[in-house]
Amino acid sequence: MSEHFMGVDLGSTTAKAVIIGADAGMVAWRTVQMGAVSREGMRQAVDGALESAELRRADIGRVIGTGYGRRLVPGVDRTFTEITCHARGVAAACPGVRLVIDIGGQDSKAIAVDRDGFVEDFAMNDRCASGTGRFFEVLARALECEVDELAGLARSGSEDLEVSSMCATFAETEIVSLLAQGAEPPDIAASVHRAVAARTLGLVAQVGKRRPIVMTGGVAKNAAAVHALAEALESELIVPPHPQITGAYGAALLALETYEGAPPRRAADLERAEESAAAAFAPQSSPSCADCEVSDSTARSVVLGLPIPVRRP
Amino acid sequence: MVADYWENVFTARERGQQVVWYNGSAVNPIFQAAGLEWCHGEAFSARLAAQQLEKPAQLAAEEYGYIGELCSYARTHLGCAVLTQQARSEDQTGVVGLIDQQELASRLPAPDFFVNAYAGCSTGQQWDEISYRVFGKEVPIFNVSLPFLWGNKPDSGYLRGREWDEASQYVARQLHDLIAFVESMTGRPFDWDALREAMTYIKRASELRREAMELCKAAPTPATYWDWIASIAHINFLPATQELVDYFQAVKDEIVKRLESGIPGVQNERYRFYFDGIMNWNKLGWLAKKFAAHDVAMVCGRYTHNAFWQEPHLIDTDDPILGMAQHYLLCPTNHGTKTLKYLTNRDCEEYGVDGIVFHASRTCRAFTNPQHLLAKAAQRELGIPSMFFEGDVADASFYKDEILESRLVAMLETIDLRRSRATA
Repeated sequence: MSEHFMGVDLGSTTAKAVIIGADAGMVAWRTVQMGAVSREGMRQAVDGALESAELRRADIGRVIGTGYGRRLVPGVDRTFTEITCHARGVAAACPGVRLVIDIGGQDSKAIAVDRDGFVEDFAMNDRCASGTGRFFEVLARALECEVDELAGLARSGSEDLEVSSMCATFAETEIVSLLAQGAEPPDIAASVHRAVAARTLGLVAQVGKRRPIVMTGGVAKNAAAVHALAEALESELIVPPHPQITGAYGAALLALETYEGAPPRRAADLERAEESAAAAFAPQSSPSCADCEVSDSTARSVVLGLPIPVRRP
Repeated sequence: MVADYWENVFTARERGQQVVWYNGSAVNPIFQAAGLEWCHGEAFSARLAAQQLEKPAQLAAEEYGYIGELCSYARTHLGCAVLTQQARSEDQTGVVGLIDQQELASRLPAPDFFVNAYAGCSTGQQWDEISYRVFGKEVPIFNVSLPFLWGNKPDSGYLRGREWDEASQYVARQLHDLIAFVESMTGRPFDWDALREAMTYIKRASELRREAMELCKAAPTPATYWDWIASIAHINFLPATQELVDYFQAVKDEIVKRLESGIPGVQNERYRFYFDGIMNWNKLGWLAKKFAAHDVAMVCGRYTHNAFWQEPHLIDTDDPILGMAQHYLLCPTNHGTKTLKYLTNRDCEEYGVDGIVFHASRTCRAFTNPQHLLAKAAQRELGIPSMFFEGDVADASFYKDEILESRLVAMLETIDLRRSRATA
């Protein structure tokens, strides 16, 4: 039986590749941001992961592709949608999860997970990039800063401005208009984060709020976005240390589980695999709100990861 | 048959026929008995969309002042009204080319009067009122008021309860008033025997259609939702004649033959789905092929199976008015959620459905309003998963194929995982 399996998630803005071993433990991973469904980005992610693992492509027993560009992954053995892969990856990394909120570059989704870690229901954003990573790119461009700087900016904002959460393109117009009216960039940044959270709340409503909640996707690396969503949901959010690669990790797990040479798996094998997965994603540090100014925190400890404090009005 | 029907409408003036434009319920047997030609606005919009000819009419409507988020059936038909009216006065629209204008305008004859009998949709109920204004308030109009069936009284239920009985009588009285109005428009006494004859044909055609649908509960199904969509026009507005009965007899015979010969509606049927939502006419063939490519047999749906003379036992051919009134109330957008849940779950169980596809039609909120409630009820009560995709009845711009594709594949993966777990 092959010892290694790969999952490749070619998203709208970022390519992710994860290699796992036969015990489901993560061996190597690489993310590359190269632009819309970039083949070059995918190549770099795959090559980078192989290099980190000191493996060749021939050493990989099976490759599963996911994400927008899943059909473009060369040598892919099978594809799964990002819904299935994110649910699988998160369920393995955070056993007991019941709701996954994944916010990527162009889409956002809420995935209800059943007690066995399988997809029960899901909802995705419609027709517009509102409430996605794209929304934050628009914000950064309008405020003339880097995306990575947005969280800090939003954290210092205090005034609640009205920003449409329906359309990323028109939101840019609104932001420019607010700037023209003399609104402060930190207030605008904070308000946009709240608008994204409000939009995501609608998706959660479609599948039903349930706990524990795990947030993944590139936007989960934005502490202010996580914080705004936690406030909107009035709930802790668990953010794995590598929130962007859970889809690729789920794909790699599916590669392992659908590998024809795989021997029948016993309960003990599965348990060991789950432990490896959870260890690979064991929260090391929040992405995070460690330095958020929190008052009247209602955060409670949960066994699955680091809770995000909730600030109540 | 459908092409002949429309050709007959287009040439009505040449034959000196009076023409009525109407929307909503299938009140056409009354027009047939009165010797009129009838044009169903939604049906004409659907026809244009299915033929990819809807854009000129929609542009004309938008130029006239109707917004792009207005019901695309109404937007298309109001555009036709604008073009028809402009053709009469030899005006030209600025955005629609002359050829398109002539094609659309000259083909749809202007109405002698309007009848509106729309259930469960506020836009539909105002639609002919707006057409009436487009024609300068010079064309008479009659409105049939169809109360919404809330279905939430203790004795309420599908086809039963005081609300149902009272609403049925209320609409029946209005149909008598409508007939008096039609008499005033034609100047002739109404031919009740002709109505009884028409309703006898409709009742028989409907019985055959329902019997044929019943046969499609077999697995694999011999015919799909898309096949039933193809015969919507026949049961909805074609003339009620022996030819209509023969058509549905032929449909049933073909289904029987398919069952006997083992010919499935979809090769390699692996999944059986329910379709909730009004039809996306621009994408009819596209959707049929897409689902078939994934081995999905769309076995039934709200639009096809809970509409269009679907309860023929209600029709008393000697005294058809009450049964007609009741069918007008049974529009699938005219029920409260309790009844819709009952109908959806009943059909899902009877047809052995694996999943539900909700077509969230962007400009038809009457159909989409209860969809999340229906999805949750099917998941909770039957364990049936569902997916949503956005599109529209007659505006292709709201449809995004990648969204449907990724959601469909995700749901199939979910079903596969459930099946593999069940057999593990």
